[in-house]
Amino acid sequence: MQLVDDADGALDSWARFCDLSDELFGGAGDLSAGPRLAPVVADLCARGLAELLRDQFIRSLEGIFRSNAVKKFWQQFHPYCNSSAVERIKFCVQENWPEDILSKALEDICLEKNYQEKCVLALVHSLQSYEDRSPHRKSKALDCSSSLMPRYQLMVSSVLLTTLPLSFPEILNVYFKKKLEELNIMMAGLDGSDPFDNHDLFERNSTSAWHSEMDIDGQEPGISESRNLVKNIGKVVRDLRYLGFTSMTEDSYSSAIIWLLKSKVHELAGDDYRIPVLGCVKKWIQAVPLKFLHAQLTYLGDSLDNESGSSGLKSPLASRPSSFPGIGVPSEALVRWHMRLEYFAYETLQDLRIGKLFEIIVDYPESSPAIEDLKQCLEYTGQHSKLVDSFISSLRYRLLTAGASTNDILHQYVSTIKALRTIDPTGVFLEAVGEPIRDYLRGRKDTIKCIVTMLTDGSGGNANGTGNAGDNLLEELNRDAENQENVDYDDHTNIDEKQAWLNAESWEPDPVEADPLKGSRNRRKIDILGLIVSIIGSKDQLVNEYRVMLAEKLLNKSDFDIDSDIRTLELLKIHFGESSMQKCEIMLNDLIDSKRTNSNIKTSLSKTSQTVGTVQEETELSHEVLDATIISSNFWPPIQTEDLTVPASVDQLLSDYAKRFHQIKTPRKLLWKKNLGTVKLELQFEDRSMQFTVAPVHAAIIMQFQEKPSWTSKTLATAIGVPVDSLNRKISFWTSKGVLTESVGPDADDPTFTVVDSTSDFNKNSTVNQLSERFQITEEEGESSIASVEEQLRKEMTVYEKFIIGMLTNFGSMTLDRIHNTLKMFCIAEPSYDKSLQQLQSFLSGLVSDEKLEMRDGSYLLRK
Amino acid sequence: MALMMGADPGVSAFPEGDNIFSWVGTIAGSAATAYEGTSYRLSLAFPGEYPYKPPKVRFETPCFHPNVDAHGNICLDILQDKWSSAYDVRTILLSIQSLLGEPNNDSPLNTQAAALWPNQDEFRKMVEKLYKPTA
Repeated sequence: MQLVDDADGALDSWARFCDLSDELFGGAGDLSAGPRLAPVVADLCARGLAELLRDQFIRSLEGIFRSNAVKKFWQQFHPYCNSSAVERIKFCVQENWPEDILSKALEDICLEKNYQEKCVLALVHSLQSYEDRSPHRKSKALDCSSSLMPRYQLMVSSVLLTTLPLSFPEILNVYFKKKLEELNIMMAGLDGSDPFDNHDLFERNSTSAWHSEMDIDGQEPGISESRNLVKNIGKVVRDLRYLGFTSMTEDSYSSAIIWLLKSKVHELAGDDYRIPVLGCVKKWIQAVPLKFLHAQLTYLGDSLDNESGSSGLKSPLASRPSSFPGIGVPSEALVRWHMRLEYFAYETLQDLRIGKLFEIIVDYPESSPAIEDLKQCLEYTGQHSKLVDSFISSLRYRLLTAGASTNDILHQYVSTIKALRTIDPTGVFLEAVGEPIRDYLRGRKDTIKCIVTMLTDGSGGNANGTGNAGDNLLEELNRDAENQENVDYDDHTNIDEKQAWLNAESWEPDPVEADPLKGSRNRRKIDILGLIVSIIGSKDQLVNEYRVMLAEKLLNKSDFDIDSDIRTLELLKIHFGESSMQKCEIMLNDLIDSKRTNSNIKTSLSKTSQTVGTVQEETELSHEVLDATIISSNFWPPIQTEDLTVPASVDQLLSDYAKRFHQIKTPRKLLWKKNLGTVKLELQFEDRSMQFTVAPVHAAIIMQFQEKPSWTSKTLATAIGVPVDSLNRKISFWTSKGVLTESVGPDADDPTFTVVDSTSDFNKNSTVNQLSERFQITEEEGESSIASVEEQLRKEMTVYEKFIIGMLTNFGSMTLDRIHNTLKMFCIAEPSYDKSLQQLQSFLSGLVSDEKLEMRDGSYLLRK
Repeated sequence: MALMMGADPGVSAFPEGDNIFSWVGTIAGSAATAYEGTSYRLSLAFPGEYPYKPPKVRFETPCFHPNVDAHGNICLDILQDKWSSAYDVRTILLSIQSLLGEPNNDSPLNTQAAALWPNQDEFRKMVEKLYKPTA
């Protein structure tokens, strides 16, 4: 009976508890049922039903929360969540869209939660009062009461998270983005209106106290406005945290901040490489996101304090793991944020710059701020390999294509070297990046020519330089000379060994990419010229090409002004060693000698001419007009000779000169290369006179017209001793100048050329001119008095021709590689085989076109 | 081993691949012999004791000749007992070239060829019939 009574009592109490709690929940702010709860609770607890009671209480709260507050809360977002992607954008465009809804919804649900919390508190109070009265059970009951609140919080957040619509994070994201942008604009406005003041402010903030901002009364409207904004955001964040969305909130505002940062970096960095942006970005990070975060943290910290003060409760989910330890010192969280943001900024900027590295390097000297930025970023992030990979691929794609001219590639290469030298003084990455360029350039035929042109360009007349890469190379040469002055260059044989020894001594393992600074202690010497030369493979080739170019240049000089060439040569000598530049030096010496010999011969000839003046008068040409360039043919590159019969008067002059030379310099004899050199002449017509500086052939042609005004091309050709077709090519120079006119004679192949005596005639024949322009162009191309390097190469390769043919007779057919290797293996003596695969290939294709060899399926065989 | 790269007409030889002890030679039949217009590939294998031992020379191209057997082995005195270290690749090949025109019919390896030799027209036909030029 006692048992039944007991059970009845329990049931009774339970029913009353349920009623009371329902009343409490439904009471809409009325907590009057709270105190009444206590005796019932105490009764139930006494019966050992405390846990059951608690579970029931929480469950019913959950039901109510789920059905009322949560539903209402999510309903606010329904229009957005249910809309399609396109419509969502519309939502985003609306001015106050997520803000209004979000703050309202949050307010509602927080109110609800707040109320429920009070209910929970009521229960907790009743439980505690029961516990106070029955001390022997204290430990267990206390456990009960204290765990109630956390359980409630957990319930709330789990309910919300389980019912979470998929697009809620998105909404949060949009919200934070918008707010941050607003803040950013506000800050920018502030910045713009009073940049210096703000600058000061930032400095002060960064040094002393970042977050004194909140405490300063708004002197400026902008600041208070921004503070309001931050406060609003802070409220939303707090509410969200209160509901248990801590991590989601953090995610979304950090992503918003990062997004903003990214767009800021992109905006600042853009496509302008002339200004350093890293400083701006850093400043901005301090100005906007950090200030925002700081304000946020302060605000939350304050509110947290208030809350804990009023309610005496601390929700474990709402509190941040690291709240503010003190004011005036940047909090740990803020510092962490700062580092995080800065790293992100570095990374973003670095990615941006790496992506555009190609363009940056294209306008290198101007874009050095960007390079400097990139260097700092890389120091911070250490992602050098990313740079190498991306740069190589962009090089492959944009530079190393058939469309790019070799000159451009070389210029880019030089800029790359310089730029990467700034970024990475150890040169490890430069090596990686340079490799594909070098490989590619090796495949180009005109690489050497371009390099030599670049080397010598600066000396062309304006040694001061116009800022192009050619000058840079020359400067490089200069700098190199200064660097290496200390090194003793008298013993050439030791240079290589010495260098090798130095290299070996200074060797150290390549720095690991994670720590590229390590190697900076012992820097690898990055020598641009050396790198350029390494493209070609051997300096001999470069020197050879330079010799050809120098020869061409010297032969076309009419004065003997070679100072700049001497300077270049000296620089090259320092770099390549004296022995390899010896021939070039002799060439220059020839010129200097020529000058001396010239004046010597001239004075002696004029003496004789005074004695035999009558003879001289006939020729009408004095020796004063003749300047001879006397060259030592052994040391000059092979010179193409063409037969040319110069007019008798000139011929006389030349042979006089030669005779005199022989007298002075016995046993040496002078052999004229009549087709070389330049002639300055003045043509006098009836109504005008014209001055030209032309090749001897042209002069010879026009001088023939002194004798008779019209010639057929065939007779003219025999008169000056050149083949008819080459005459036709050369004579077009004069027709294009309007000096001669061409008319078709009786024989179609044998046109007649007539001197145009007056301008009126010339105008009549202007149509003819246009026709002959065409010839003019074709003629210019083939005009090079020095055998090109290719031809020289061909000559050298003929030594191996027999060898190759012998090989092919015995082996039938061979691939290029095999021929190359065999030559390398067996041609060690006498003229040792030192040609590159490409050179061999071009030689072999020459043999193929000469019908000596055949090429089938990639191998060569003898033509039968 | 003097290198001889096509200095003499009709005779040439070259080391085969990376192995300097193994050469490939080519000889052309001299004019006014039954072998005119043909070209034979030979292999020369030099023993380690070269030049104190003769190299082993074989015809790689089938050759119808009294002193050459079906496997290309050559019966030539200087390649056997008359070897002297003064001979080099060039002289060997020149000897073989002259052997083509003047066989030693006294010690034939190919009796059919030896029998046919006096009849030069028929011999020529046989040479042409059995001649399979290498690529």
